[in-house]
Amino acid sequence: MDHDQLKDLLPLEALGRLEGEERAAMAAHLAAGCDECEAELRQFREALAAMAMNAAGEASADRIWSRLESRLKFEQAADSGSPAEAMRAPSSARGASAVRRWRFATAVAAAAAVVLAVVAGRYANNAELTRRQSADRIAALIDQNRALAVENENQRRELAIAHLKLSASGRLTQAMLAPDARVIRLGPLAPARGAAGIVAVSEADRQAVLHVAGLPPPPPGKEYELWWIGAKSGPLRAAVFAPGANGSATVASTMPPVGERLLASAITLEPAGGVDKPTGAAYLKGVP
Amino acid sequence: MRAVAAGDREALRILHQRYGNALAVVAERILGERADAEEVAADVLWQVWRQAGTYDRARGSVGAWLMTVVRSRAIDRLRSRNARASAHERAGDEAGAHGAADPVADLHSAERRRAVAAAMATLHENERAVLELAYFSDLSQSIIAERTGLPLGTVKSRIRSALLKLREGLQQFGR
Repeated sequence: MDHDQLKDLLPLEALGRLEGEERAAMAAHLAAGCDECEAELRQFREALAAMAMNAAGEASADRIWSRLESRLKFEQAADSGSPAEAMRAPSSARGASAVRRWRFATAVAAAAAVVLAVVAGRYANNAELTRRQSADRIAALIDQNRALAVENENQRRELAIAHLKLSASGRLTQAMLAPDARVIRLGPLAPARGAAGIVAVSEADRQAVLHVAGLPPPPPGKEYELWWIGAKSGPLRAAVFAPGANGSATVASTMPPVGERLLASAITLEPAGGVDKPTGAAYLKGVP
Repeated sequence: MRAVAAGDREALRILHQRYGNALAVVAERILGERADAEEVAADVLWQVWRQAGTYDRARGSVGAWLMTVVRSRAIDRLRSRNARASAHERAGDEAGAHGAADPVADLHSAERRRAVAAAMATLHENERAVLELAYFSDLSQSIIAERTGLPLGTVKSRIRSALLKLREGLQQFGR
């Protein structure tokens, strides 16, 4: 892959979403020291961070700080050595005194010690049992909590996806129903005689939406591109898309150029990601 | 960051005040669970406290560094949770390769929030939805394509155009 191709992939790299060969090629390119890509990647990461930091959510700063503070206290204590000492001292004292007691034990005292040991053992067993039961209960609650969180996350994703699917068709309907709706019908040209398209534009709602049907699947590395063709500006890119398996697609496009006469709108086949001026065959075309 | 690296707790407290909530919010969007998200936010600040010296100003702002680290940690936690791994995540490694040249002392100012919101408003709704799905989830581009019913090329081009617009919007509205 060359520099330009990799540069196009920088947004996905910033998201950590590159896969396979593209990912490896990007790593090699950056490791080779491409300053331009490095700088652009930095800009994309900054933009994503800005988006993330603007995400709405409830304040939880106090709880975060209390978690941090407990770690800091533990670290301070560990650095001073006191907790270690505190934890070691009682145990060695107990050990020494036990040895002394053993040395001076009589047969009677030994028997009493056995009784005490059995009782102490029972208490210890009970305590251990309780501890294990509590740990099991906590583990079960943690699992339950996780399962609920996963379910919640899945529902949130499904909602986002449903919203995404509805948004394009909803916008088309909205644009077509707007009081100032302008509709441009796109007729088929030689490469796709069975195709048809429509672009709905609403200046009041500031939205333009394209719907196409009957387009053949684009070859690998290609996508369709919608153009506004202005009297002065010539062709301006409006949207880049690939139709679904049934040859149809509904996509939002940019608004037509302002302040000049629109001569036509057309769809051409271009390299994936789109180009600034049309280079490929035209598939659909219409005049306002 | 220099003060944090030198062990200044007050500097850590200021860093927490400035970014703590944002870290937790990003983690919560990814994890969908607040207590876990707060734990991740605390983990990230703890990592900063222990490894602030590895931060490189030349490679980006403190904010960008922290957001990269928190996203990566939250996704790690999500994966380990989904894999039903152990309850407590280990403290992470790599302090993140991205650092900051930032006098962004006003990251949370109302003015800045408005600028970012204005930049986000330049995105088409479907661009924004795909970008947020790619950022706040652990879904690969191909899974996003599969789940949304969009062709993979369209997912890629929407992410690209969304991020280009966001960057341009931020430049235009006041970065």
